[in-house]
Amino acid sequence: MAQAGTLPTLDLQAGAAAFDRDIPRVLALVGATSLVALGWSRPNRLTLLVPMRAVDARGTVEEFLLRLGFEAYPAWPPSAQFVNPSTKTFMSPQDRCFIPKLTSQECHTHAAYGETGIQLICCSATREFYEVLHSVEARYVWSDRNTFYSTIVAIERAMAESYQGRFTADGR
Amino acid sequence: MSIGNEVGGEPPLEKAVEDLEHALSDEQLADALGTKAKREVADALHEIEEAERVTVHVIHVDEVEKASFQESIHKMLDQVWAKSYDELHIAREADDIFQTDSKPPKSLMSYLGLTLKQAKEQRVIEDYRFGIVSKTGGA
Repeated sequence: MAQAGTLPTLDLQAGAAAFDRDIPRVLALVGATSLVALGWSRPNRLTLLVPMRAVDARGTVEEFLLRLGFEAYPAWPPSAQFVNPSTKTFMSPQDRCFIPKLTSQECHTHAAYGETGIQLICCSATREFYEVLHSVEARYVWSDRNTFYSTIVAIERAMAESYQGRFTADGR
Repeated sequence: MSIGNEVGGEPPLEKAVEDLEHALSDEQLADALGTKAKREVADALHEIEEAERVTVHVIHVDEVEKASFQESIHKMLDQVWAKSYDELHIAREADDIFQTDSKPPKSLMSYLGLTLKQAKEQRVIEDYRFGIVSKTGGA
């Protein structure tokens, strides 16, 4: 079970199994027949790629790619990182421009968080949030009822409501 | 008798309902019209009620549950949200958020006083698909 102030523990077998289990549940929930129908892809058993969009102040649609990792799922939320759509990976600092600036109270992005320097989607529905030992009220801690779709929806809502453009290579 | 939604120069449905209800309650008129006419008025009222009902679809993101139900377009979003829990058989949590079930989702927390009809007319919602999610911590 996820707990604030505790580092997530990885369990790849459990993660892949839970991901297998939850895919059909989520597809049924959203009324889709496949991951492809949603524009999502699963390059390996522990990874889900989810395209995301945001609209900037001038009305321009910006495209991003979110990569979810299921190495500690479902006890902990999926890892969530915005990645370079060409390489499907994130290399700092050159790929910082592929991170959207999100400034919601529920979901705030950092191109290089604190001393760790990692990309952080600061939201209690991402694994990195717990890996940096971020403080959080108990009521917001990831629970066993959550699925990866909770993570996607939390980030999507922040993309819609608090998008402030892209980060630059220097992290601003 | 066929009565549809507001189209072109037809009078508003609310006025039509008022007129029909008035007619239905007028005993003298009902007698004069006879049973058949009275039934037609009742059928017309029913038709209007049906025309003002829509199918609401709601998902609970965290519980991975969904439900659909009929609702009057004159119900406020707050009432639709409350009814959603009954239909889903899920208890409401203090930090839940009511939002559109769209890509991207849009919080409806600032629009809970609008009726379904008003929300649609003001383009707050595009359809009658909604989602309930738990708030997350962050910042």
